[in-house]
Amino acid sequence: MSDAARKFLLGIVLFLIAGALVGGIYGYAVIGLMVAALLALVWQVRQLLSFDRALRTGNFDDFRYGDGIWEQLFSRFRYENDKSQRRKQEYRRLLKEIRKSTNAMPDGAVILNADNEIITCNRAAKGLAGLKRKKDLGQRVDNILRDPELVGLLHAKDQSASIEIPSPVVDGNWLNCRVVRYGADQKLLLLRDVTERIQLSKMRRDFVANASHELRSPLTVISGYLDALSDDDQMPSTWAKPVSQMRVQGKRMRHILGELLELSRLESAGKAESDQTVDVVDLLNKAKQAYEGHAQVASIVVREESSAGLNSIPAEIETVIVNLLSNAVRFTPNDGEITLAWRSGADGADLVVSDTGEGIDPEFIPRLTERFFRIDKGRSREAGGTGLGLAIVKHVLARHNAELLISSEPGEGSEFRCHFPAERVVVSPPSLLS
Amino acid sequence: MEASGLTDHISRRFNKDIEDLRNNVLTMGGLVESQLSLAITAIVTGDSALGLQVAEDDYKVNNLEVNIDEECGRILATRAPAAGDLRLIVAIIKTITDLERIGDEAEKIGFLASKLAAMDRPSDSYRELKTLGQHVAHMVRDAMNAFARLDVEDAWEVVREDERVDEEYEAIQRQGITHMMEDPRSIKRVMNVTWCARSLERIGDHAKNICEYVIYMVQGRDVRHTAIPDAPETDS
Repeated sequence: MSDAARKFLLGIVLFLIAGALVGGIYGYAVIGLMVAALLALVWQVRQLLSFDRALRTGNFDDFRYGDGIWEQLFSRFRYENDKSQRRKQEYRRLLKEIRKSTNAMPDGAVILNADNEIITCNRAAKGLAGLKRKKDLGQRVDNILRDPELVGLLHAKDQSASIEIPSPVVDGNWLNCRVVRYGADQKLLLLRDVTERIQLSKMRRDFVANASHELRSPLTVISGYLDALSDDDQMPSTWAKPVSQMRVQGKRMRHILGELLELSRLESAGKAESDQTVDVVDLLNKAKQAYEGHAQVASIVVREESSAGLNSIPAEIETVIVNLLSNAVRFTPNDGEITLAWRSGADGADLVVSDTGEGIDPEFIPRLTERFFRIDKGRSREAGGTGLGLAIVKHVLARHNAELLISSEPGEGSEFRCHFPAERVVVSPPSLLS
Repeated sequence: MEASGLTDHISRRFNKDIEDLRNNVLTMGGLVESQLSLAITAIVTGDSALGLQVAEDDYKVNNLEVNIDEECGRILATRAPAAGDLRLIVAIIKTITDLERIGDEAEKIGFLASKLAAMDRPSDSYRELKTLGQHVAHMVRDAMNAFARLDVEDAWEVVREDERVDEEYEAIQRQGITHMMEDPRSIKRVMNVTWCARSLERIGDHAKNICEYVIYMVQGRDVRHTAIPDAPETDS
């Protein structure tokens, strides 16, 4: 019990005793007690009413009869009230700041509930996606942004992917969309204008394709004359070596240009659509045969661990195998071993090329698929690589929704694993005879 | 949370059915929109593979139409909707027919694009078809937006827009006639271009129809074959 409460009780008890005593002097103790109780009651009721009025009007100066416990109650209430007002103001200010900063964001953000209904969005989202803040609240976002790809993304289980859709507002613009889940079933749809990036990459692609194409014709002429020259008996013998070197380099350049063209074709092509089933093991065997009879090549082993086929374009899978195998041959000593394997499982199929070669430093692995990336500049060029092989492999795989997984131990060897998703794998029906 | 205000029933299932139906129509609209824009891209860039792809994908639109139609029939039979709900169902049945036709026209354009890609391209790369195509694609988009938002004013805007599309179509035709008179060798190509323009113009008409159904759905009055009200004064 607090001090004030004790005082309050003591005061009332003393007052009642005083009433009873005064009554007792005149011989009516009970009546005295009653009168004192009545007075105490009236006094308390007045204070209660006054308190109530002050609360209702909000004008705290109206509270006049404050004393003792009432005054304490009152000041306590006033303090709490002020505090909550201040807090409310603080929240309001904070909310305004947050709204201001989200509006200042260059990227669009739309908050969605579990049913993809719009809860709120920032100003950039209005501009980028043509949302109307008042009208579209509660509307499902895929009713306004109806691009089938985005609808697919919103309903997909795995929403980690980001997709690019044409802008619904400006023709020719592109939006990058991502969905981030948070809280209890809430989603954040992030929109970003990527027009510039897409145009730039298209420009780069076009440039590479055009440049390679333009370079090819003069190169053909030069190579032609070099071929003729090297066959010419009258040519001074001092020129024999330079001419043959020029021919080799010319051939190399043609090869690089061919791969660049192939790469730009792969980049601009979409998903690999095919109704053909590729017999991967057959391709592996063919690739192995190409190296048969060569001296100075490590032994190559083909392991058939699955009879499943692959829904793909044969030429593209062949490119993958040839590139991976030629890399393996280049970096594996003659006494080493190269294994080509084809396996399948519930989550897809793997095409694995592993070797017992020199291996790759872990720090270089992420950069291997960059164009013209070489770990040891002089060496691989001598070995005849163009620097584009793994980039081509990566793009072919991307067209198949497949991944290239590289693991390597320096000194022990490397493994290049192409993982194809299950929908690409064609499991052949069991033969009726067996 | 229902945005439309159309669906407010004691039966939760009915609410959900109607809301799902609306969402399906808009999904179909999204598919049709993307088909149309791909078809236009195929024409403008001379991409025959893309054109054929569009023509092939038309079955997706058709499947959606059949599904939605069936669902509408089911709701009519089991729920016996009245007033606004009935108007919504009726409008949806009509809307999907027009959407399906738009899909068919997109298919046609995709097919023509693959043919045009094999011919000589004019120096302007079919700029007039691109302009008309974008115009029409905007109309379809705005029509679906009006459907989603139940916005009568936007719907009227699309109806008004259709007249401008008709004018553009006329201009392409006239241009085509000039080309053919100048150089009879271009007849084959110009005929194909005219067919494309014709398809685009038809798509504009279908978008206009959809907007008329939106007005019917919201206001309950049939505005087909009536005078188009002037655009309201804007305060800008």
